[in-house]
Amino acid sequence: MKFVEEFRDPELGRALAAELRSLVEPGRTYKLMEVCGGHTHSIYRYGIDGLLPDEVELVHGPGCPVCVLPMGRVDDGIAIAREPNVIFTCFGDMMRIPGSHGSLLEAKAEGADVRMVYSPLDALAIARRNPEREVVFFAIGFETTAPSTALTLRRAKAEGIANFSCMCNHVTIVPPLRALLDSPDLRLDGFIGPGHVSSVVGARPFEFIPADYAKPLVISGFEPLDVLQSIQMLLAQLADGRCEVENQYARVVAWEGNPRALEVMAEVFELRAHFEWRGLGFISQSALKLSDAYAELDAEVRYGIPGVRVADPKACQCGEVLKGVIKPWECKVFGTACTPERPIGTCMVSPEGACAAYYTYGRYARGAELAV
Amino acid sequence: MRVLEVDEAAELALCLDDDDDERRRTVDTGLVGEVAPGDTLLVHAGTALMREPR
Repeated sequence: MKFVEEFRDPELGRALAAELRSLVEPGRTYKLMEVCGGHTHSIYRYGIDGLLPDEVELVHGPGCPVCVLPMGRVDDGIAIAREPNVIFTCFGDMMRIPGSHGSLLEAKAEGADVRMVYSPLDALAIARRNPEREVVFFAIGFETTAPSTALTLRRAKAEGIANFSCMCNHVTIVPPLRALLDSPDLRLDGFIGPGHVSSVVGARPFEFIPADYAKPLVISGFEPLDVLQSIQMLLAQLADGRCEVENQYARVVAWEGNPRALEVMAEVFELRAHFEWRGLGFISQSALKLSDAYAELDAEVRYGIPGVRVADPKACQCGEVLKGVIKPWECKVFGTACTPERPIGTCMVSPEGACAAYYTYGRYARGAELAV
Repeated sequence: MRVLEVDEAAELALCLDDDDDERRRTVDTGLVGEVAPGDTLLVHAGTALMREPR
């Protein structure tokens, strides 16, 4: 497949890894954060971490939308799903996220009509087929997914589909990055930037990272050679004493992003004053809600939600994992009480979650050999 | 995903899933402009983010 096979060439991978090792300054350590959960998954799926010199440490960032969703929002979703006459739709990994009293999957088992959909467009199709029912779409994701929700809401409004609404949990990537950079817990040397978010927002929103914090960022694709080349580009910047935003994923990401996506998002959404992130707490202007023009399609307005803030289970350390403060295997319940089959924390649910990636690809402890 | 059929007016395309030849998906093409059967699209959550250059 074009743009896939050529980015999985093992010979090129070994050559890139050798070049990368030559850029490491003896005695210096490098802490690089991959912002996006898709990168975390690729790194462990393809064993990229095993090709890196010991001096380079990868820290996993907050770019998995399922992982950063606080329990209270799951409870709010379940409350709507239990409303009479509601068909509640969401993406598959959302169904298993634990709330304080169970998951959407458990609510479904208890009788709520919860359905997994592949896209918001599928949820809208369910609304068209069931005009006597109320169909709610639980929207989740960063700027990569938000345009899809926005386009669907625009269709619903244009077609006058009154039995469709959206509970919006879309978040934005820049505010949590700023929060992490301001955090005293973490010292980072550079960022592997989110490829698909950047295909929507472009590279410009990340320019504050070199400008205000003197850290380099390389926007990266998701194939193994993409990630290796991005790490090589970061190390080259650090070796040269440079500090810039660079775009390794130019085959997909335009510097200015996708103007059509930005336009439809600006029409349908507006920024929330505050939004709670698991592990990071409340962050100002870090999430989206429906704009006044689309308020009639806002499930939070239509139903009202409990909106109760719920503390994470004490045993779960997803918060520290999401901030990059600990590795998944350092969590007390990793791989024992918390597994992909019976997750306690969000990071073990989504394939993009750091804990799920470590567990699936056999990283049970520091320096563990591949299990597969 | 590979485009099989296009509904230009509705900005929708019926596409074949790369990972499963049996599976067809309806994709919103509103962000990528004109598409034609045979085009390859980068799709996220049912919306095309990019059309591969022809």
